[in-house]
Amino acid sequence: MVATVLKNEIQNALNNDNLTGALGRFGEAYVPAREKAYEGKDFEKLRAEIAQIKASAAENMEALAQQFTAQAEKNGAKVFRAKTGQEAKEYIAKLITEHKVKTVIKSKSMASEEIHLNEYLLKNTDVAEVAETDLGEWIIQLCGQRPSHMVMPAIHMTRGEVAEIFSKETKQQLEPDIAKLVKVARENLRQKFLKAEMGISGANIAVAETGTLVMCTNEGNGRLTTTVPPIHVVLVGLEKLVAKFSDVGPILEALPRSATAQKLTTYVTMMSGPTPAIDLEGNIVEQKEMHIVLLDNGRTEMRDDPIFKQALQCIRCASCLNVCPVFQKVGGHVYGDIYTGGIGTILTAFLNSFDKAGELQNLCLRCERCKSFCPGKIDLPALITELRRRTVKKDGLPLGQKLILEKVLANRKLFHSLLRTASVAQKPFVKGNTIRHLPLFLSGLTEGRSLPAIAEKPLRDRVGHSVPKGKVKAKVAYFAGCLGDFVYPEQGEAAYKVLNKMGMEVIFPIEQTCCGIPASQMGAPEVAVKLAKQNIEALEKENVDYIISLCPTCVEVLKHHYLDHFKDDPAWLARAEKMSAKMIDFASFVAKHGQELKFNQLAQKVTYHDSCHMKRALGVWQEPRQLLNRAGVTITEMKGCDDCCGFGGSYSIKMPEISMAILNKKLDNIEETGVSVVALDCPGCKMQIAGGLDAQGKKVKVKHTAELLAEAIKE
Amino acid sequence: MTAVQGKAEKSHNETTGAALYDKFKVSAEMLSAEVHRAGNLEEARQLVTQLIKELGAKKVVYAPSELVDALDMKALGQAAGVVMTAENLRQNAADAELGISQLDYAIAEIGTLAGNANSIESRMVSILPPIHMAIVKTANILPNLLEAIATYNQKLGELPRYLTFVSGPSRTSDIERVLTIGVHGPGRLIIVFID
Repeated sequence: MVATVLKNEIQNALNNDNLTGALGRFGEAYVPAREKAYEGKDFEKLRAEIAQIKASAAENMEALAQQFTAQAEKNGAKVFRAKTGQEAKEYIAKLITEHKVKTVIKSKSMASEEIHLNEYLLKNTDVAEVAETDLGEWIIQLCGQRPSHMVMPAIHMTRGEVAEIFSKETKQQLEPDIAKLVKVARENLRQKFLKAEMGISGANIAVAETGTLVMCTNEGNGRLTTTVPPIHVVLVGLEKLVAKFSDVGPILEALPRSATAQKLTTYVTMMSGPTPAIDLEGNIVEQKEMHIVLLDNGRTEMRDDPIFKQALQCIRCASCLNVCPVFQKVGGHVYGDIYTGGIGTILTAFLNSFDKAGELQNLCLRCERCKSFCPGKIDLPALITELRRRTVKKDGLPLGQKLILEKVLANRKLFHSLLRTASVAQKPFVKGNTIRHLPLFLSGLTEGRSLPAIAEKPLRDRVGHSVPKGKVKAKVAYFAGCLGDFVYPEQGEAAYKVLNKMGMEVIFPIEQTCCGIPASQMGAPEVAVKLAKQNIEALEKENVDYIISLCPTCVEVLKHHYLDHFKDDPAWLARAEKMSAKMIDFASFVAKHGQELKFNQLAQKVTYHDSCHMKRALGVWQEPRQLLNRAGVTITEMKGCDDCCGFGGSYSIKMPEISMAILNKKLDNIEETGVSVVALDCPGCKMQIAGGLDAQGKKVKVKHTAELLAEAIKE
Repeated sequence: MTAVQGKAEKSHNETTGAALYDKFKVSAEMLSAEVHRAGNLEEARQLVTQLIKELGAKKVVYAPSELVDALDMKALGQAAGVVMTAENLRQNAADAELGISQLDYAIAEIGTLAGNANSIESRMVSILPPIHMAIVKTANILPNLLEAIATYNQKLGELPRYLTFVSGPSRTSDIERVLTIGVHGPGRLIIVFID
């Protein structure tokens, strides 16, 4: 049921040209603007500092909450600890009733959205109006929507739509002119500011040491909300606490830069206690009433979770949304709740609904882009995988997936023999070497993309133990990966050729099997562990110096994930560590050990696609370019060369619409370069991109770096 | 310290001071702030009078403070031919064309001003009128945000209750990500440094 709703919303979002256009343009402009804002700053150092500050604050959440409360009360504020959203709402409603407040103005607060505060106050008090004053929030309030982005709540709307909404509100026909619309907002909200009896705001940071609340805004509405009305209520989540005033520095250095690529927001306000105000009659109120509502609502539970407590390192900059290829295509409303995007998926699970979030994690492609941008150093992709694991633990796997994972994938012989059978069974559907149409339930697989055929003879039957001419420099095991073995054996043959030429003895450990990533991703870590053991055993037998793979995801899994799998199993961990030390991707290995290779100059015009797991997980992007240059290739860089192609393993099957939308952008960028070959270092990306090009009837070829090097190598 | 050393240090300070001012001016102008500098109080009086005349303002509000008082707002108002007031600000600040207040520090790297805004006057005059004029001592330019935080960190027990940081005029990009200056706060920020 939930899944159908999500599917429908995805379809609607993808069909909304305004949305995808606006988000796409923003996504493209954001990265260079952010880069510029960080000029001269050491981002890695800064985010290490922030991660430390926030992790330690999360660890000491209760002590900091108590210290904050004591200090803020000493400063003259009243602090209320709200365990749930309901408690927070009741407290604020009571204040409104006690003070006979008729009009409330608000400055943007995601926590108030989280607990649906406005709705509650309107229903349960005599308040006539609770006016949002942040322009974006006001727009969505007027049309009864939810924010689609944490920092830019109305990013999904066009000027035309805003003009319509404002025309209705002001009862006059307004043009879709942004400057004029902003002026209308100023004039309308000005009266509300001047007449309001209560201001409600959020806060970006709460300092325990001084009882200070830090608030970042651009429009000035935050300052008006906290200046004009004689009662000020601050609603702030426990995750905003930090220990010391000096902790504010690093967070403020990163928050605006990561959020909107500003060095600082226009107004930053640090409030340590109530200040004077002016009442409606114009009299000075020496000390206004300041109430601080410290909201828990699931945050303590998050802190108590050994894995998800990391999410409390979030400073709410929303850069994970800004760089997410899925968010750029579908926008925030698809996420179905208050918090959107990658971090939103996690927050939704703890602050709103675990069941809802379980479905949302399917949106993540695991391209890892958010992880490299996060100023809180949160490993979001890993948290989302963990969410998946827990959903599976709770609800179980769908029967088909369970069967494939537990019965087929975990049984190498059965798995491989099925793949061999498939190469025969697929014959009626193969045209050339691609499958253009699959029958019935598999048809989604080939929409907008041809699938490659399963090879008649897998790599394991074509190559074996191969000894170079001359002196053997080292012994290398070849880890093929499923696609490399059964779909693209030619890539492996090319790699063998290059490795032999480098003086490497190459061995194909015959008992190697799937690396296990599909099982981890589908939420079945026990299957992944089983496969890890099979692979470690298969590779140990050969006693090699290096293990090479043409698939960056396989490298990442064997090199890094296996260590994680066995962190509580010292005997297997030692074996995994030994293997991890030998594991290396093909491009890095050739760049390092193939300096004597001689190439004929290919003189081809090529563009290079950076695979997510190659560039971000392994940090390899210069090596393949250098190697290709050595082979005489001219590289014409495409726009967004390291943007995801939309493959994401089983993602392209589970979320075919999004996968295709992301692929199409990639294909446009490739076409713009005018090259005849796309080079890359991932069989999965090849499947996606080559399939897309084929379906569009494009003549551009897709080749693994290994294939281009093998073509150019001097015999 | 010898006289020569003293002179060298003074000259060093002057150079860093000038460099910080130049840096601030560039950063602040990138944020659409307008930056001016006066060599002393008398020059500042002339400059501010001139600026008010150019703005064509009729009503100006101000927040009393050390530097603002030194400029003598009453006399300045007369010279510029405007109604100049610090009274009844809920009404007056809402319909004045210009608000004048002092800020304590300027941050060169990012073009930001910082200061104690505890007084209701200073907040009303700096946020309600369409133009805000900030008066700052040139000697109080700090290199970067972390220095500013560190400066306030030194007086933790006596932090202003309302500490404000201002970077350029009010802005929004909430509609289609198009930058628009002047939403709820002032659409112009004029900064006058006094040496």
